Amino acid sequence: MKTKIMTLCVNGRDHRFEAPVNRTLLQALRDDLKLTETKYGCGTGECGGCTVLMDGKESICSCLTLAVEAEGRHITTVGGMTRDGELHPIQIAFIEEGAIQCGYCTPGMIMKTASILANNPHPSEDEIREGLEGNICRCTGYEKIVLAVQRASQMLDNSQIQKSGGMGQ
Amino acid sequence: MSSRVLPQFDLLTPQSIPEAVAMLSQHQGQVSVLAGGTDMLLWNYIRKVKPTYLLRLSGLDELDYLNYIPGEGLIIGAKVKIVQLLEHPDVAEKFPALYQAASTFATPQIRNMATVMGNVLRGSPAGDCSCAILALGGQVVLQGPQGERLVGIDDFWVAYGVTERKNDELAVELRIPEPTSTTRSAFIRMTRVHEDLAKINVAVCLEMKQNTCQRARIAMGCVGPILVRLKQTEKLLEGQQITGELLEQLAASAQEEIAPIDDQRSTEEYRRQVAGVILRRVIEKAVGTH
Repeated sequence: MKTKIMTLCVNGRDHRFEAPVNRTLLQALRDDLKLTETKYGCGTGECGGCTVLMDGKESICSCLTLAVEAEGRHITTVGGMTRDGELHPIQIAFIEEGAIQCGYCTPGMIMKTASILANNPHPSEDEIREGLEGNICRCTGYEKIVLAVQRASQMLDNSQIQKSGGMGQ
Repeated sequence: MSSRVLPQFDLLTPQSIPEAVAMLSQHQGQVSVLAGGTDMLLWNYIRKVKPTYLLRLSGLDELDYLNYIPGEGLIIGAKVKIVQLLEHPDVAEKFPALYQAASTFATPQIRNMATVMGNVLRGSPAGDCSCAILALGGQVVLQGPQGERLVGIDDFWVAYGVTERKNDELAVELRIPEPTSTTRSAFIRMTRVHEDLAKINVAVCLEMKQNTCQRARIAMGCVGPILVRLKQTEKLLEGQQITGELLEQLAASAQEEIAPIDDQRSTEEYRRQVAGVILRRVIEKAVGTH
């Protein structure tokens, strides 16, 4: 089997490793880099469990991306959302709304939410529901997940105002 | 190790179109071309293709362009992703059928990854953008060892999953002709849930003079092994005023003209029933009465 030395930039850090050329990005993250927060669900691009961000705002399925195709791009997993041990507002919003049951879909849902809000900071409920297409939760309905995205949108707004020295909450 | 493993292949990473074509010629029949990967890697997973080489387009940024040229039309480079159609203002304004197909295409992740050309090359009768492109007309530009050749979209799909592209040719560009100020187009599909593949889809491109349709192209998907034009139904529509009565006739004609099958997504009977309904709706949508 042909192998290749690859460099992947994940959550702001470069990782260099050797792997077979048919390695998917998901396998590279989980098996080579031991970053197991990104989940394997269907392996065919339908469930969204493996969703990661490319270059900060583009959601993609890491199961249908070859690892070599991700070289030179900035990959963000849910592990990269946390800063200095502090949860990201999107993560807090999911916890506060109780938008989690078994939690398997949650890493993908968080990354999808990050993508939705990066492209549209104030989505309507319809836009949120359309945006969440491609991420399947098999435990529950999507009510609390939608509420969590709405709460995250508000929380990010407030933190922006604080950062810019504005009115605060 | 995750449970699905890709077959073993080697990678080819050309840095220019001529180099890519030379590689396709040298390893004829052993190469699959990888752009977005959403179909190609899936086909590798299920061993529908078992290429010795996967030729990546990652080094060919010259295939990443989406341009509207007034007087000529839309040109779509082979690396253009579905999401780019949604971001280009001229696509929404001048090629509504293609815009509508792109906006309901699969899921956000897949729209960020999959290419428009890949959808055409897949040769599936359920391809949403392919359906819109068949209605809008246009050409596929193929680059081979002997140079460039153009294939009209009407002739491009020859059987399920099989296209006119030869093993030594690289599909480099799609061209969709300029609409006139009286061209109207629209796309509709039916699915069980939104992110499913279509159980049936339809696109129309109509040349209108007031309420009279002068020329029509009707493309329907999931009603045969490849996407089809409904040419008999087009003839019934051409030269006619669009009335409720005519729409009923067109619906009946469409039902007769198609050859759907039973499969996991729908049944022959249901597809035949709704073919007439969605044709009526898509015409109403195109001319703005729906």
